[in-house]
Amino acid sequence: MIDEEKIRKDFPIFDKNINGKPVVYFDSACMSLKPRQVIEAMNEYYFDYPACAGRSSHRLGEMATKKVREARQTIAQFINARSEKEIIFTKNTTESINLVANSLDLKAGDLVLTTDKEHNSNLVPWQVLSSKKGIRHKVVGSDADGTFDLEKYKKMVKGAKLVSVVHTSNLDGTTIPAKEIIKIAHENGALVLLDAAQSIPHQEINVRDLDVDFLAFSGHKMLGPTGTGVLYGKYQLLEKLEPFLVGGDTVEYSTYKEHKMLLPPEKFEAGLQDYAGIIGLGVAVKYLQLVGFDYIKNHELKLNKYISDELSKIPKIKIIGPADPALRSGIISFYIEGMNMNQIAVMLDNMSNIMIRSGRHCVHSWFEARGIINSARVSLYFYNTMKEAEIFIESIKKITQII
Amino acid sequence: MICIIALVVFSVMGIFSATHRALAKEALDCIFRRVTFRPCNTGFDERMKGMIVGRLINKSVLAARFVNKYFEFLSWGFIVITLVSGFYTIQGGYNFYLYGSCNGLNQSGFCAFDPKGENNKITDISQTCGTEEKSEKNVSLNGVDLSSFPTKNVGSKDTVVLIGCYECDYTRKAYPDIQKLVREKKTNYIFAHYPAKENTNFLSEVGYCVYKEYGERFWAFNDYLFTVDKVQIYQPDYINIILKNFDFNVEKINNCINDPATIQAVDYQVSQLKKTHLYGTPTVFINGEAFVGPKPYRVYKSVLNKFIFF
Repeated sequence: MIDEEKIRKDFPIFDKNINGKPVVYFDSACMSLKPRQVIEAMNEYYFDYPACAGRSSHRLGEMATKKVREARQTIAQFINARSEKEIIFTKNTTESINLVANSLDLKAGDLVLTTDKEHNSNLVPWQVLSSKKGIRHKVVGSDADGTFDLEKYKKMVKGAKLVSVVHTSNLDGTTIPAKEIIKIAHENGALVLLDAAQSIPHQEINVRDLDVDFLAFSGHKMLGPTGTGVLYGKYQLLEKLEPFLVGGDTVEYSTYKEHKMLLPPEKFEAGLQDYAGIIGLGVAVKYLQLVGFDYIKNHELKLNKYISDELSKIPKIKIIGPADPALRSGIISFYIEGMNMNQIAVMLDNMSNIMIRSGRHCVHSWFEARGIINSARVSLYFYNTMKEAEIFIESIKKITQII
Repeated sequence: MICIIALVVFSVMGIFSATHRALAKEALDCIFRRVTFRPCNTGFDERMKGMIVGRLINKSVLAARFVNKYFEFLSWGFIVITLVSGFYTIQGGYNFYLYGSCNGLNQSGFCAFDPKGENNKITDISQTCGTEEKSEKNVSLNGVDLSSFPTKNVGSKDTVVLIGCYECDYTRKAYPDIQKLVREKKTNYIFAHYPAKENTNFLSEVGYCVYKEYGERFWAFNDYLFTVDKVQIYQPDYINIILKNFDFNVEKINNCINDPATIQAVDYQVSQLKKTHLYGTPTVFINGEAFVGPKPYRVYKSVLNKFIFF
C-alpha cells in the first residue's frame, strides 16, 4: 500500500508555501518534480566522487564509472533491453531523436512517417532532412476523437523507411497502439522510432515486447534531473549507425590520420557526460519502480476522471482529445473558444499557486491546422492529490464566472 | 494597451529591481510590435491581465469580473492619466527650469523639485503696507518712474531692476545672482531699496545720498550693506562707521539725509515702488517681467539668453 503523504514528503517543493498557500504543481508533462533521493544521489556524486567515468583509473574515477554503469543497467532493465549497451545517454528526447535522424542512413526519396500530434522535436528534424537531403516526410492524421487512425496508417506506411511517432501525446495525453504500429511497420520493412517522453513516466515500457527499434525519452519528465535523456536502440541497428557527434571517448584510438570508433553505446556519447545527472536518472528509475506503474496509472486516472468530469460541466470549456479520461494518461488539455489560455494559466498561478502549462505545447502544427489559439494543460503525476484537484476545480470555476 | 502602462510602471520599478527591468523590456518589445503594426504575440498583455485579475479574484469576484471585462478600457484610461500626468510633469519641469517653480512664474504651490518653496520665499511687505492685493499678476513697472534710483550700464538693451531690502534674507540670497547677471550680461541695472521692515527705512535715505554725492562709488557700498551682519545695519551709528570706512564724508551724507528735499525724494521713490504693486522682496524685473522671490541664477539668465539654454 502506497502512502500518499509519505510520497509527498520526498518532494521538497511541497514543504514550501508561496504567499501562505501551498504549491499545486500540475505541469509534470513539462517537468516532473524531483524526489530528495535523486537530488541526494547527485549531491553524493559531487561531494564524494566528482571524477571522470570511463577514463580515470583512480578510486574516485572507478567509483564514478561504477555508478554510471549501474545507472545504465538500471535503465536497460527498466525498459527490458537486451543489454545495457543498447542504452545511449543524451541530453533529452530531442537529442535522442536528432541522433537517429542524423545517424540513420536516410537518402533522398526515403519516406518518414509521423503523426499529426508530434512535438516539434519529432517534426522539425524530419522537415530539416526533407529540405537538406530530400527525404519525404508524411503526416498520418488522427481520427476525429484524436486517437491514432490505424487504417490510414496502414495505407501510408507502404514504402516507408522510418516510422517516427509519439507514444503518448503531450498535447492531449492519448497513447497510440504502439505494438500494432510497430508490427505493421516491420511487415512493411520500416524501422520504428518511438518518442516515449510522455509515456515512460506513466506506463511500463517493454522494448522487447514492443519490438521497437529505437526509443527516445527524457529524464526530467520521469523524476530525473534536467539535461538527461536516453536513446534505446537495438544493438545491431546501433552498430550500423554513424554517430553525428564525435570526439572524446568515442574512439578506441586515433592517429594523426585516422581513428577507430568504439562500439555502442560509447561511440555515441562524445565528450564528458553529465555523470551526476545520469546517476540521478538511475535513482529516479528505481524510485519509479518502487512506486510502481499500477499505482501511478490508477492514481492519475482517479484525478483525471474527477477533473475531466468537473470541467465537462462548465459549458465554456472544451477538452482536447478523447472524452474518456482513461485514454488521456495524466493530461487534461482544455481551451475556451476565442480565448488566449495564457491568461487562465497566469490567473491560476496568481490566485491559487496552481502551476499549469499554457500555449501550444511545442505542437504548433496541430493548433495551426485547427485554428485554435492555444490550450491550458493540466498534467498530473502520482504525487498530486485529490485535494489539489479540488482546489484547481474551485479556482477554474471562479475564473469561468468572470470571463 | 497595458504594455504602455507596464512600460512606465516597470521602468520606474526597474530602477530598483532587475526582475522589473526584464518586464519593462518585454513591455517595450510589445509596444514596438504594436507601433510597427505587428501583433504583440509575446503573451505579455495576457500575463499582465492574468496577474492583475488573478490576484483580484481572491478579494472580490465582482471587481475581478469588471477589470477582466473592461481591461482594455481601463488600460486606455490609465494611458490617458499617464499622458496627462506626464504632460504636467514635463510642464512642471519646464516651469521649474525657467521660473524656479513647477507651477509657473511666481506661483508658490507645491513643487516636487523645490518642496520647501525656497525659490518663492519673500519677505512679506503687507505687514507694514497692507494696501495692495497680493497677486503676481498686478506686479508691473508700468507707469513707474525709476529715474531717481541708482543706475548703471545705461544704454544696454536689457534692463534688470532689483527691488530689495537690505535686511531681508531673501533679497540677500538673490543679490549675488543679480550682480553676477548684470556683470555677465552687461545689462542696464537699477537698484531700489524697499524697506520691508520699518527699521531700515533710514537706509533708503542713506543710499539715496551716497548715490547722489558719490555716483558710481555707491555700488561697492551697496554690495557691502548686503553682506554685513544685518543686526548691525539697524543702527545709524554703525552706518556712519561704514560710511567712514568707505571714505565718504559722513557729515556731508548726514546733511543730505536731513535735507527736506531728500526726504521728499525718497518718499517719491517709495510711492513709485508702491505703484509696482509689489508684495514682497526681493522683486526682480528683467525687461519688465517680474520675478518675486530669490530664483535660481539659471532662471534670471534664461530670460536674457537668446535661446532658453544659451
